[in-house]
Amino acid sequence: MKILIVEDEPKAGDYLRQGLREAGFAVELVTNGVDGLHHGLEGDHDLVILDVMLPGMDGWQVLKNLRSQGRQMPVLFLTARDQIEDRVKGLELGADDYLVKPFSFAELLARVRTILRRGRSGLEATTLQVADLELDLLRRRVSRSGKRIDLTAKEFGLLELLMRRKGEVLPRSLIASQVWDMNFDSDTNVIEVAMRRLRAKVDDPFEPRLIQTVRGMGYVLEAPEGTR
Amino acid sequence: MPGRFSLTARLTAFYTLVSALVLVGMGLLVSLATGRHFVELDRDYLHDKIELVQKIVRESPSQAELSSRLDELLGSHHGLYIDLRQSDRLVYGQEAPRFPADLPTAGSGADPMDWDDGGQMLRGLSARFEVPMLPGATSQTALQLRIALDTAHHAHFLQALRHTLALYLLGAILVSGLLGWWAARRGLAPLRVMKERAMTVTAQKLDQRMPVDAVPAEFADLAQSLNTMLERLQADFARLQEFSSDLAHELRTPINNLLTQTQVSLAQKRDASAYQDILASNAEEFQRLARMVSDMLFLAKTEHGIELPNPEAIALEQETRALFDFYDAVADEKRIRLSLAGEAVIMGDRLMVRRAIGNLLSNALRHSPDDADVKVAIEKKGAAVALCLTNTGNTISADVLPRLFDRFFRVDKSRSHPDSDGAGLGLSITQAIMAAHGGSVTASSSYGVTTFCLMFPGSVAD
Repeated sequence: MKILIVEDEPKAGDYLRQGLREAGFAVELVTNGVDGLHHGLEGDHDLVILDVMLPGMDGWQVLKNLRSQGRQMPVLFLTARDQIEDRVKGLELGADDYLVKPFSFAELLARVRTILRRGRSGLEATTLQVADLELDLLRRRVSRSGKRIDLTAKEFGLLELLMRRKGEVLPRSLIASQVWDMNFDSDTNVIEVAMRRLRAKVDDPFEPRLIQTVRGMGYVLEAPEGTR
Repeated sequence: MPGRFSLTARLTAFYTLVSALVLVGMGLLVSLATGRHFVELDRDYLHDKIELVQKIVRESPSQAELSSRLDELLGSHHGLYIDLRQSDRLVYGQEAPRFPADLPTAGSGADPMDWDDGGQMLRGLSARFEVPMLPGATSQTALQLRIALDTAHHAHFLQALRHTLALYLLGAILVSGLLGWWAARRGLAPLRVMKERAMTVTAQKLDQRMPVDAVPAEFADLAQSLNTMLERLQADFARLQEFSSDLAHELRTPINNLLTQTQVSLAQKRDASAYQDILASNAEEFQRLARMVSDMLFLAKTEHGIELPNPEAIALEQETRALFDFYDAVADEKRIRLSLAGEAVIMGDRLMVRRAIGNLLSNALRHSPDDADVKVAIEKKGAAVALCLTNTGNTISADVLPRLFDRFFRVDKSRSHPDSDGAGLGLSITQAIMAAHGGSVTASSSYGVTTFCLMFPGSVAD
C-alpha cells in the first residue's frame, strides 16, 4: 500500500512518514502543494494525506486538480481549522475523510486503515476468529475455547470491532464513534469501563489475554506472539 | 457626504432659517399694509375732490368763473390734476399729465388706477355727472371728470420704509443666527462632556461612567445606555482576563509535569520499558491537552454566535437513550439506575445536542453516590421543550450554582482531580451549545437533589 503525504511542517511530516512506515505502508513525503500534485498525478498511490494549508498551492487546489484529471484515489485531509465550512468544502471536492489538528497518531492510523479497507470488497466473513476466540456474526454468538460467552449488544459490537481490526491499535475516540456513534470527545472513562467489562467476560477466565491496552494509544486485540 | 454636519451647525442653520422666514414675512406684511393704507387714503381724497369739483361746476355761473375756481382749487392742492370734458371738448384741464382713457369710476368700489406718465407716478379716478346747465350751454350736459394725484411722495416714503425694513431684517437675522449658534453650543455642552468622558475609557480604565445626573433629561437615557454598555464590557473584560489567566494556569500545570517528567527521565539511562512508560504517560497528558484546546476552540467558536451547522428534527428521547446506552457500563459499575420519561422533538444540531446532554449525564454519573437514581424528564412547556436531568448527591450551595457554567470552574477547588474528570469545560460547553440553539441551561440544587434543565425554545409540531 503506497501513501503520499503532503505536509509542509517538517517535524509533523517526518513523524507521519515514520509512523506509517512502521505500520507497514510505503510512504512518500513531499512538502508543498505543487510537488504534491505532481507526485499525485505521476505516482500510483493508494491514498493521499493532504494538509490544507500548504505553500505554493493549498490542499483544496491539489485535490481539485487531482480529481479533475481523473485521479480517484482516496484523500484524507489534515486541517488545523476546525471549521464546518472546511469539512463541507473538503467533502464537496471529493475528500474521503478529514482530521483536525491536533490529532492522535492512533486515530490517523485507524482512519487510514478504514479508508483503505473500503476499497476492498472481498467476501464478507460470517465468523471472526482470533486464537481460540470465535465470533459468529449471523447467530450473534461468541465463544472461547468452545465455551459460550454471553455479551450484551454493545459488548458484542465492541468485540466485533476489535476482532475485525485485530492487530490494529484502536483509539478510544474511534471506538466511541464506531460502537456507540458518539462523535464528540467524550469521557474516555466510558470506554475504559466498557473495555474492562468486556475483558472480564472474554479474557479473565481464559489464557492468554487477547485484549491489550496500549498506553497513550488505545486498545488492540491480538494473539500474543508465539501462541498463534 | 450627507449627515456629516455638526449638530451645532444644523441647529444654527435651522434656527436662522426659521427666524429669517418669520422676519421676512413680517416685513412683507408691514410693507404691503402700508401700501394698501396709502391706496385707501388716496381713494378717499380723490372722492372728496371729485365731489368738490362737482360742486364747483354746479355753482359756477360762467366758464371764466369755473376756470378761476378750479385754478384756485388746484393751487391749494399740490400734485392734484383735473381733466374735465364735455363729450370731447375740454372744459377744463392742463397740458400735462396725460390721462388714460379707462380710469376706474369713482363709487364703483374699484381702487384708483396707478400709471406712469413720463416719470411722474400718478393715481387717478374718473366720474361722470350731469349738470343742469353749463355756462354757455343750452341744455343739460353730461360731463366726464378725470382726476389724478401725484403719488411720488408715497413712493418715496414706501421705498424708505422698505429700505429700513430690509436693513433691520438683515441685522435681526444675523443676530438670531448668532444667538442660535450660541444656544446650540450651550445646549450641546453636555454632549461634549460625555465625549470627553468617553475619550478616557480604555481597556485599563473601564470603570469610567457617564455623568447621568449632570446631563439634561434628553441625554440621560443615552448616558444610561452607555453606562450599561460599559458595565457589560467591563464584566466581559474581567471574565476574559480571568479566563486567560485560568487558561494559562490550566496549560502550565500539565506542561510543567511533562517537562519535569521528561527531563528527569533523560537525566539517567533507563531500560526500554521505562522509556515506554514515560512516553505513554506523556501521550496521555498530550491527549488531555489536545482535548482541552479543541474544547476551547469549540467554545470560542460557539460563543461567537454560530449558525447551527446541520439543523434537523431531533427526538430528544432517542438521543437520551443512545447516551444511556453509551454510559450504561459506567452507570452499572456504580449500580446507578438511569430512567427516562417524556418525549419531544426539537430542531437542532444532533452532534451538539448529544454533547450537551452527554456532558450533563457524565457529570451526574460522576457525582452521584452508588445505588442512586439518575432521571431524565422531557417536558413540553408551551412551544418550548425542557429536558431536565436529576441526580442525588451532595447539595451544591446556592452561591456556587451560577458559577458552575464558568469555564474551568470546579466545585472542588483542589486541582488533584482524577484523570477521568474533564478540564472543567463540560458545563460551559453545554451552555454554549444551548445558547447557539437559542435556549438556555439552568441548575438548581436542594436537599441532596441536583437538577440541570436544558430549555429549547421551540419544538417541532409532532
